[in-house]
Amino acid sequence: MSRTITRTATILAVLALLAVCATTPQFFTINNAKAILASASIVGLAALGATFIMIVGSVVSLATAQTMAVIAMVFLSAQSLGLVPAIALALLAGALILGLQGALVGFWSANPVVLSIAVAFALTGIATMVSGGTTVYPPADHFTVLNALPFGIPLSVLVFLVAAVVAELVLRRTVRGQQIYLVGENRAAARAAGLPVPSITIFAWVVGGILIAIGALFLASFNATATINLGGTLTFDVIAAVLIGGTAISGGRGSALRTVGGTLAIAIIADVLLLRGFSPGAQLLVKGLLVLVFVVVVHVRSNRGTR
Amino acid sequence: MIHGLRRTETLIPLLSITIVLALFAVTAAVTGRQISLFDGFNTLQGLAQLGFLALPLGLTMIAGEFDVSVVGVSALGGMVAVQLGQQDPLLGVAIAVLVGMAVGCLQGVIIARFRLSSMPVTIATYIALLGLTSVMSGGLTVTYTNIDASLFVDTPVLGLFSPRSLIIIALFVLVAIVLGTTRLGPELRAIGDDRRASRVSGVPVDRRLVGLFATSGAIAALGGALLSFSYSSANPNPGIQPLVLAAVAALIGGISLSGGRGSAIGLFVGAISVAMLSQIVIFAALPGYVTQLIFATFLAFVVLADAPGLRTRFSVAAARIRSRRHVDAATSPIES
Repeated sequence: MSRTITRTATILAVLALLAVCATTPQFFTINNAKAILASASIVGLAALGATFIMIVGSVVSLATAQTMAVIAMVFLSAQSLGLVPAIALALLAGALILGLQGALVGFWSANPVVLSIAVAFALTGIATMVSGGTTVYPPADHFTVLNALPFGIPLSVLVFLVAAVVAELVLRRTVRGQQIYLVGENRAAARAAGLPVPSITIFAWVVGGILIAIGALFLASFNATATINLGGTLTFDVIAAVLIGGTAISGGRGSALRTVGGTLAIAIIADVLLLRGFSPGAQLLVKGLLVLVFVVVVHVRSNRGTR
Repeated sequence: MIHGLRRTETLIPLLSITIVLALFAVTAAVTGRQISLFDGFNTLQGLAQLGFLALPLGLTMIAGEFDVSVVGVSALGGMVAVQLGQQDPLLGVAIAVLVGMAVGCLQGVIIARFRLSSMPVTIATYIALLGLTSVMSGGLTVTYTNIDASLFVDTPVLGLFSPRSLIIIALFVLVAIVLGTTRLGPELRAIGDDRRASRVSGVPVDRRLVGLFATSGAIAALGGALLSFSYSSANPNPGIQPLVLAAVAALIGGISLSGGRGSAIGLFVGAISVAMLSQIVIFAALPGYVTQLIFATFLAFVVLADAPGLRTRFSVAAARIRSRRHVDAATSPIES
């Protein structure tokens, strides 16, 4: 029964959103659609990464903003090596930073949230120490390729959509993907069933790290310079996108496509509020209330009777 | 098992305060600067800022929850107190505390009624509250013009304290007494340890959760109000750093993120350790990133000390060594 309620609520929410969009002048224009997608793509890529981490049962990373800032700094300072090595280095950094956390969580059941707070401190400390607290300027500008507009669509949007499809296929159609759900649903049972829980956890974190790194590549390219504060509010933007999509914070449930939905919903609402002349504060207020409503509606079912 | 838990609970805060005090002594010796009463005053001023977030966050953590919204409620409390307390500071503070309590109460009802995990709920409230304070202030910092009130909250008392630090110390003492002498303490830990079992054994879990989040909101709002008075301004977005520091204080105060463990005294020791650590960095004029690295190391230790997997591995290894010793003892006479 609660599933029907959830579904009805979702349909009603989408209809209400469409009605508001339809009555907003200039909403249904191609330029506006592009603006929405462009603003959604970076948060979206990181949110896809966070989806893997949440599904495997590692809750959330509170270090997303710092991780992306550090990867952006690595990517920009590696520009002199050429575009492809710089990208490879950035992806490697993402895989390493998150893979290491995944290993600690997977092997020793370390608390992922506290761990991510420690990582946020460590990354801020190391990045400030290495850069001397100054802005990182790229020695060459190969990265401008990433700001290209093939078919008039930002490259980041295309990459985001492709990444979403690939992530969904990995989660749904591969054995590893199914194992991620099992570990997130019930870690003890997965271990009892003989699944290699540590390597599954590490896999989910590494995939998450690569997706977050791809987001950081575009973040770096758009801004052309990087500091440790480049990530801004990304940590919570990403969590909001994943939660609005309806992935369960307790793990074991959710999907990449849901996260795409959550990311787009936030971007569309922010856009509508902007077009209607609401202040940034009002946009935040609405975003927060919306996350609250979605959390209650979507998570009631997944949490009932478990606590 | 219970013995081991109890040991971690006191060991972690004891260890952290010892390390911090040793660090303070070392930096004083290395830099050749005398530690003055003023350093103590500054540490307690740091505690006054941090404690109002660490206390409510830590209390929710003992009950197995995690109230992210404390920073948002604190910002809201500051904004309300500054906007409504220009003439009458006490009125501003009172309304701020009531608003904070109402927000906390609402969150508690949602969390208890729908049996939701508190993190997503309070993250949502946090985002919404930042929006609300921003709407209230037009996104700008609001100045507080009542200079008397601003000066009063930071007046030195006995050279070491200020009204602000005395209030938070009094709150810690009050909470420690309440949790230590009434059933609330054991109930709170039971709720954090095993919610179902505590429900079955008759703890009014839902009512306790609502009360807990209302208390959390009230303390956070009070802290925000006093902080804005101290700064003579209310900032609509204090950022996420204060929350992270509060979480660090709670964790090195021996409170576990999985709930069921911790005390108000440990929490106090954790908060004062963090405040002192920040003071050391200022005292020794160390570059800011050193604090970040120290916090990272502290947290890494906490995480590893707390990791169930590592603990099992240790006990397995210890058991293996012990049994090998038994085997050796049993076989050695035969060999000789």
